[in-house]
Amino acid sequence: MKPAELREIDRPWRIWASVIIVSILAFSVVFGFLVLPIVQGRAAGLDAFTAICRAVGILPGSPAVKQPTSEAKAQPTTQVAWSTDLMRTFGRRTQAGAEIAQGCVACHGEHGIAADPQNPNLAGQSAAAIYKQLHDYKSGSRVHDVMTGIAQGLEDRQIVEVATHFASSARRDLDPTTAEVVDEDVIRLVERGDPSRGLPACNSCHGFNAGGPIETPTLSHQNREYLARQLQAFKTDARRNDIYTRMRSVAVKLTDREIERLATFYATTLSY
Amino acid sequence: MGERAVTHARRLTLAHLWVAFAAFAVAAVLGVWQMWARSPLPAPYLTAESYFTSVTAHGVSMAYVLTTFMVMGFGYYVAETALGRPLPLPRFAWLGFWLGIIGSAMTAVTIFAGNATVLFTFYPPLTASPFFYIGLVLVVVGSWIWCGLMLWAMLDFKRANPGVPVPLAMFATVANAVLWLWTTVGVAAELLFQIIPAAFGWNESVDVGLSRTLFSWTLHAIVYFWLLPAYIAFYTMAPQAAGGRLYSDTMGRLTFILFLIYSLPVGMHHLFMDPQQSSAFKFLQMSFTALVAAPTLLTVFTISASLEIAGRLRGGKGYFGWIAALPWERPMVLATGMAFFMLWFGGGGGLINMSFGMNAMVHNTSWVTAHFHLIFGGTVVIMYFAIAYAIWPTLTNRLPMSPRLQRLQLWLWFIGMMVMTLPWHYLGLQGQWRRVATFNYSDPIIAGWGPWVIVSLVGGIILLASALLFVWNLLQFHSARAVVATDLRPIYALAVHPPERVPAALNGFALWNVLVLVLMVAAYGYPIAQFFIIDAPEAIVHRVNGRG
Repeated sequence: MKPAELREIDRPWRIWASVIIVSILAFSVVFGFLVLPIVQGRAAGLDAFTAICRAVGILPGSPAVKQPTSEAKAQPTTQVAWSTDLMRTFGRRTQAGAEIAQGCVACHGEHGIAADPQNPNLAGQSAAAIYKQLHDYKSGSRVHDVMTGIAQGLEDRQIVEVATHFASSARRDLDPTTAEVVDEDVIRLVERGDPSRGLPACNSCHGFNAGGPIETPTLSHQNREYLARQLQAFKTDARRNDIYTRMRSVAVKLTDREIERLATFYATTLSY
Repeated sequence: MGERAVTHARRLTLAHLWVAFAAFAVAAVLGVWQMWARSPLPAPYLTAESYFTSVTAHGVSMAYVLTTFMVMGFGYYVAETALGRPLPLPRFAWLGFWLGIIGSAMTAVTIFAGNATVLFTFYPPLTASPFFYIGLVLVVVGSWIWCGLMLWAMLDFKRANPGVPVPLAMFATVANAVLWLWTTVGVAAELLFQIIPAAFGWNESVDVGLSRTLFSWTLHAIVYFWLLPAYIAFYTMAPQAAGGRLYSDTMGRLTFILFLIYSLPVGMHHLFMDPQQSSAFKFLQMSFTALVAAPTLLTVFTISASLEIAGRLRGGKGYFGWIAALPWERPMVLATGMAFFMLWFGGGGGLINMSFGMNAMVHNTSWVTAHFHLIFGGTVVIMYFAIAYAIWPTLTNRLPMSPRLQRLQLWLWFIGMMVMTLPWHYLGLQGQWRRVATFNYSDPIIAGWGPWVIVSLVGGIILLASALLFVWNLLQFHSARAVVATDLRPIYALAVHPPERVPAALNGFALWNVLVLVLMVAAYGYPIAQFFIIDAPEAIVHRVNGRG
């Protein structure tokens, strides 16, 4: 077939295909961008222009619903807002951090390892976790006779510095006499949770590599008494600085015996 | 056609398809275990982490490895057999193959090392190890080489045969290559500019709205990339296998063109519940999605008509007598019937998913998972089996004694898929959420789901049996008695009116690429541009391979 003939049979295809597809596009645009917003917007008490702008996405909100007005005051469980600027400040250990840490020695030990097991070890804890707790003490989200006053005396920059300092300190060695305590029930709780009670696995947030929130603390190497006391505090609603009541909803389902065993497990294990 | 070149393409095809089906077999085992994990029955090795590792491996193997290697291998086969010419630049084809192998291996190692429990969808701020993504990029680059070779082969044919229509099987394969090039633009942009920098730690925050939008660009079209081999089999292989003719060659060309056009500007129907896109653009993309029904119905009509021709030629009478007269003992015919049956259910469910309003009821529930298992695992994969059974004798020059085990395998797959997915759909309607490892069956509402999940698990076990039987059947080809060299061409159906002169519009893709561009600019132009115009908040990257 000659090229001219080929072009001849091709022309109607080109024209009609374009006409049909552009018509479908035009129909969808007219209907979706104009007709629907105007009709729906009227029902929601919006003028046509606002409704169209909302439909296109230039103005926020749906063209079919009035923007709700609210008198409610938000009461966040914590004032900490994670931002990249904040995250960027973590990671560099400074002399200033070491100096602030001198004020922590009495309770948390010279190298961030507490002599009294009622107090937490800080060495090797994640910087974000320490920052969150200190910030919460400062803002009043978490309350402690001693820590509240100390945290209120720190500026935000100093909190970052001391958190970074402890995060980069070496963790406590485990006591060989207590290590390797195998407790199958607790390992099951840690790794699998208990779906029958709606208990998620501890590991789903606290595990290494887990996808938990950024402020989730590391639990291994922590003191037994401290862990048990915190779980009890969450359980009894005495501690409330966990966002979305994540820890309170977990702790309330744990028995006292399980709390003891979990605390023992984390205090004597390296690998979680 | 040189004998050596043919042998070469056979090895190429066999290599691709064996990789595809090996990945499929592994993923089938994981799939059953996942269904077990979700059931009230205690599953071994179950932790949240092992579950998400498994789901990631299952998704990547089924959706990326099985499909990509299947499409590529089948494409090389079609290019050579339908065009009747040796494949151009076979070295590049092997390069694409090895890139895919290296990429798949890299991805697999990352997943099983526990550094990629992010599922096979790319939804930040959760990010995996960068090697997970780099591996997948290599697979995609390998497939781009395939796209180039398919286009090259078609243009070569056209140059050598001016005015001669490109055979439908090849036209459709190139449609898929063009579709794939368009499709991968979205995910490639997301990976290169957002996710890989974030995974390496070069970016601390990521614009989640933008990445979800870019992924939606790819996420629906990719499904058609997987689907088109099945449609190629419907149009070019099933009528021949049934002993009839293709009712209309033009309908076939139109169908593949419509798939190219209406698979791309539609991805936002995966984002109906997302806040970063406005309702008008969602509506626009919903309208285009609805038009995907056109090529689907064209196909149902054309293939039914083609099979009716075959049935009547075989002596079928009356309105439905031709159906009974069809040679259902042939795997290709049987698989086509089953694929159509599943297409009705899967397509019906799909209409609900794509409807802006109804989507709200099923969004993020098991309904969606069940839907794509039925339509992809059912309609599409059963045709992959049929294609394998049809072309394996020509690849190995061997033929097993009887196709009885092949039929058994297809029946098991069909029954297993229905048994697994129908209760799964129902559970979605009950509100069962997707992407979770376990359910709290002590809750009285959730307890009622338990028996249905167990039914699905039974379906899964049947599917696993079928998958293993499939691999066994393919191995049988290699150990069967050699037969006289089979002709490579006769598997493609002739049309009732074989095309003699075809307008350029139905013999190439220039016009359609322009129209796709117009539609993509309309559907995705502002929705993507807005992220650069409006100062959107970003999310902090969350890497699963290490804290922070």
